[in-house]
Amino acid sequence: MADSDENSAADKNEDEMVGYRQQPGKLPFAKPGSGGKDRFSRPTDDAMIPESQGGQKAQPWGPHRHDGLVSGQVIGKPTALVDSRWKVTGQAHYGDDVRLAGELIGRIIRSPHHYARVLSIDCSKALELPGVVAIATGADAANKFGVLPVTKDEHAMAVEKARHAGDLVACVAAEDEATAREAERLIEVEYEILDSIHDMRDGLEDSENPIHDRGRYHIGEANVQKRVFQEFGDIDGMASSAVASHKQNWLFAGVNHAATEPHAVVAHWDPSGRLTLYTPQQVPHYVHRALADVLEVPMHQINVHRTFVGGGFGGKSDPFPHEMCAAILARKSGRPVRICFDREEVYWINRGRHPSRIEMNLHADDEGRICGIETDALIDGGAFASFGHVTTYYNGVLHTAPYEIGAFHYTGARVWTNKPASGAMRGHGAVNSRCAVETGLDDLAEQLSVDPITLRLANLLPPHSATITGFRVTSIGMRECLERVKEASGWDEKFRKMPLGKGIGIGCGFFISGSGLPIHWDPNKFPHATVHLKIDMDGGVTVHTGAADIGQGSDTVVAQSVAEVLGLPLDMIRVKSRDSDTSPVDLGSYSSRVTFMNANAAISAAMQIRDELLDATAEITGADRTKLVIGDRRIFAKNDPAVGVSYLEALHKAQEDRGALVASGAYRTPPMGRTHKGAAAGLAPAYSFSAYVAEVSVDVETGQTKVEKVWAAHDCGKALNPLSVKGQIIGSCHMGMGQVLSEEMRYGRSGHLMNPDLLDYKIPSVHEMPEVVPIIVESNDPEGPFGAKEAGEGPLLPILPAVCNAVYDAVGVRTAELPITPDRMHKLIEKKCKSSGVKDPLDLSAPRLEHSALQDTLASRAAEHAERDLARRLDDDRQPYHNGALFGLDPTIPPDEVDERWAVNVIPSEEYLASPRLAGSAWKHTERRHRGDA
Amino acid sequence: MRTPPFELHNPSSLDEALAIAGELNAAGQAFDWIAGGTDLLPNYKWHINVKPHVISLAKVRELSEFNPTHIGAMVRLHDLAESDQTHPVLAKAADSIASVLIRRSGTVGGNICLDTRCYWFNQTEQWRESIDWCHKCDCGTDADCRVIPNQNTLCVATYQADLAPVLMCLDATIHLASPDGKRSMPLSEFFQLDGMTRNVLQPGELVTHLTIPEEAGEWQGDYQKLRQRESWDFPEAGVAVLWKRNGGAKPAGLRVATTGLESIPGLHDEQAQAALSDWNGKETIDTLAEAVRKAVKPVQNTWSAPSYRRKMVKVLTRRACAGMLEGAE
Repeated sequence: MADSDENSAADKNEDEMVGYRQQPGKLPFAKPGSGGKDRFSRPTDDAMIPESQGGQKAQPWGPHRHDGLVSGQVIGKPTALVDSRWKVTGQAHYGDDVRLAGELIGRIIRSPHHYARVLSIDCSKALELPGVVAIATGADAANKFGVLPVTKDEHAMAVEKARHAGDLVACVAAEDEATAREAERLIEVEYEILDSIHDMRDGLEDSENPIHDRGRYHIGEANVQKRVFQEFGDIDGMASSAVASHKQNWLFAGVNHAATEPHAVVAHWDPSGRLTLYTPQQVPHYVHRALADVLEVPMHQINVHRTFVGGGFGGKSDPFPHEMCAAILARKSGRPVRICFDREEVYWINRGRHPSRIEMNLHADDEGRICGIETDALIDGGAFASFGHVTTYYNGVLHTAPYEIGAFHYTGARVWTNKPASGAMRGHGAVNSRCAVETGLDDLAEQLSVDPITLRLANLLPPHSATITGFRVTSIGMRECLERVKEASGWDEKFRKMPLGKGIGIGCGFFISGSGLPIHWDPNKFPHATVHLKIDMDGGVTVHTGAADIGQGSDTVVAQSVAEVLGLPLDMIRVKSRDSDTSPVDLGSYSSRVTFMNANAAISAAMQIRDELLDATAEITGADRTKLVIGDRRIFAKNDPAVGVSYLEALHKAQEDRGALVASGAYRTPPMGRTHKGAAAGLAPAYSFSAYVAEVSVDVETGQTKVEKVWAAHDCGKALNPLSVKGQIIGSCHMGMGQVLSEEMRYGRSGHLMNPDLLDYKIPSVHEMPEVVPIIVESNDPEGPFGAKEAGEGPLLPILPAVCNAVYDAVGVRTAELPITPDRMHKLIEKKCKSSGVKDPLDLSAPRLEHSALQDTLASRAAEHAERDLARRLDDDRQPYHNGALFGLDPTIPPDEVDERWAVNVIPSEEYLASPRLAGSAWKHTERRHRGDA
Repeated sequence: MRTPPFELHNPSSLDEALAIAGELNAAGQAFDWIAGGTDLLPNYKWHINVKPHVISLAKVRELSEFNPTHIGAMVRLHDLAESDQTHPVLAKAADSIASVLIRRSGTVGGNICLDTRCYWFNQTEQWRESIDWCHKCDCGTDADCRVIPNQNTLCVATYQADLAPVLMCLDATIHLASPDGKRSMPLSEFFQLDGMTRNVLQPGELVTHLTIPEEAGEWQGDYQKLRQRESWDFPEAGVAVLWKRNGGAKPAGLRVATTGLESIPGLHDEQAQAALSDWNGKETIDTLAEAVRKAVKPVQNTWSAPSYRRKMVKVLTRRACAGMLEGAE
């Protein structure tokens, strides 16, 4: 082959290597090529180098602080995930693929009762069964755990009470699965059945047997786990200045992540007395902490090994009781124990989206400004707290943007009920209330006779502003998202113009790109994310990170970031992210934090290596250090590219005195936000924005709704890997479409979950999946890695309201209950027929729109704001902008500091408590120092 | 998920299969037949009415015979759907069953004999324990019905197979064999209430094939199916309507059958004859649709609400009849 001939010819010249002098009598310690599979560097891809660095890459949103680090390698190019070949060839080992010699199979004994006191557990018969090795019960693990340190309310197994049907009561390890299942039947548990609570509204009332006794801070005698009250802005003025008001009472069914891989775990105590836990986890660090608490073993004696994760979506982001069970059984038996869930066990452990009752009130004034949002959200937490403390806040605070609003009133409460625990699911806490807000805006537009997209465009917060709750928002691509979906979908030709049964609708989204507050520590005392790099003489870079790749591609994004800064091909980067023994602490894959925080940490580590390589190059070549740039495996002078050395030459020079290069980079959020109670919830270093248009058809006779096409624009700051971003957008559409049309955890009349299986839990099939046109908007976030923000959760939010609004456009029916199953839809259509005096639904008329005079006002305001926004995003010396300016207040000062009508209040007044909304009524209870105290 | 242990028998002819069945019967041993296994095995994995013996029909070649008038019980649903020997309405119904993977495995006989389904029944053993069982699979507890409590007699589990209504409208005859001999009957007489009894099959008896009259080719029609998703889902309601023409606008023959609504599929002969005797085009179809709606009484044990399913029977019937008016002059 011609190639290899050339190579061997090159080999003959190896004594003439430039910039590398051999000492007489000594062997060369390695032959410095360029590194990588191809020994020759490629010329720098100028199309990928930003304008600010003299390249061809256009930067309509201005330069970025990472521009100088761009080597044109991988960032911004569609890149297959680094672990994709492992998966597509079936060689990836997931939780249940781990096989250790001498393993036992563990099974969980679960409560058949919704709520019961465990009186006694008799294991004697089971222990006599040949093949049964160990049995554990709640008595083996008295310590509580939970994902949030403030709400630890879980035990490995029921200690006193079983709190939902399917709650863990005991566990058994046996030689094989058949024996373990047989033993399950032989364990006799005596229960005292207690009155159970299934309706979330009952959770607000006093109870004889609250599901949990919080001891300190128990809220009355009720099952209220968390309550929030917030008032911002001109609360008194909103109703009086309103010319249009929307009110809707929503009921959202709970939904489950339904990841392909059911939960599985393998625990092994090794001969040195250390525990290794193999688990498909999103939050290995939280598991690490919880294991130490429950097992009473110091953290350094535990290694949490994250296996490949077959889908997480928030469903694997809690430390789980079955993980504790496996560890306890392994300790008891002295052998590895493997537990793999059946599908219904996945539903019993749940942590899915909260079933919710949300009252949404929106007000618009005569200038088409959103002068008030009043939200009351009661969320059904099921039997445990999980992330619920945060969810309760998120249901409110995450809809205070992207719009500038005059007032925000939020009451939220999360109650315990005897159901599988709700938790964090993709779009955590923001999805349901976002759906209510966006459909409400559509209704306001209808009442004002204006186009709903124009209404939104005329009410957007500008870039680099503060929301009404004081969130610092940096880059905003909302306007561009709206404009692009409007154009791509042919909105103006379709909206309110399609025949009956065909409709088009808009929905927007706003989501955190990483939670600003690390849960377990003060952000000033320990970073959010840490990445270690190690490079030895082979030139390959080992990246140690604790970020959990759950399929979203975090290994890839970290590898990409390092490769880009060091000018290396992706195959020279190897990511070690599995073992807590070797990985620096990372909080895990939740709240869409990984790309933002970990890639920033990786860049910071890579910059240190880069500095060392540049120093070495300057030393070898004598070139001006400030002129040196990195290209593909070559470091050279920008003004004279012939002067330079290969990557390996520079590396070996840098290694002279110290051997392997190591670097540690970390990321922490900047100080931000305000100081009221709960101010940190929803605070993030950046936010993503999205706007979707969905086109649907509704069969008015059967009520069946089909999504025909979706135009999906998402502002992810910068698409580090456009292939992944598009995948996230399309996948989010699928997941959100499930929630809006067919997925629901359905509880029967006796309180049992009726559909804990994938036949009756209706995930849309390929037939239901519409064409999705992903549109990536890059708003170049100043603090994001290369400008990037999240793309994993935010893209889910807009699909729900877009579909709901499209359904209205198609048949003139507003739904307030999800999912819109055909029978629910049919009922609404029947009602509509009745109110319109029509017998045959085919004779219904679809809604039409004639613009009012306000339309032009809004359109010109939107145009003005577009100019304002452009100026703000390009001006580094911009003035502060606080929510409230649209209402005539000084934009540079928080409005409550200049106008006494604009309040910040987190405690309900007596007046409010006299007639509270549903969730607000949780504030009628007095918080006790001890439950039972007066 | 683990299938409980059972002894598998692998006869290679119908006679051998029947002989094994006879022996097990004589020994008082319960058993199930297994064809494609797509219904039986999930139930076994959930420990629903498991038996110590299973007789596989996989090697019994004579059950796979297939031509326009003879459909063997072991003919795969996929082959039925794809073959040009199949009546087009039957092919449409077959093509709508479950998913392509299941159709490749599932058989005609298995679909006809599909076990009735219910939210309170098609669940894992742990789950059923949590509701204290139900009488379709009570594990010896004498449990009550969970759909309609306080009546420990009738099982209201729903028959959710797609082929039966079409085959009934094609006037198919079903052929059974047992160690004691063979018998045949119109398919509409094969099904028997309630949700536990399901059909006339006796222990040891199996479906060998169906025959379809030669004149079936003269019948046209449609099968309409209601479900949440266009794949996987069992019918929440299914309506087959077949008609025969002899030139005029009024059809010479008309048959209507439904599935997915009660414990057995229903042939609505009375309603169809009434429509024919009082034929008045579109109006009659509306009347017929209403009559069929009234004739069925679904209960709350599947995905969609029973009131909705019942109302949809009317829409489905109308839609299935649409072709009847189109072709008429």
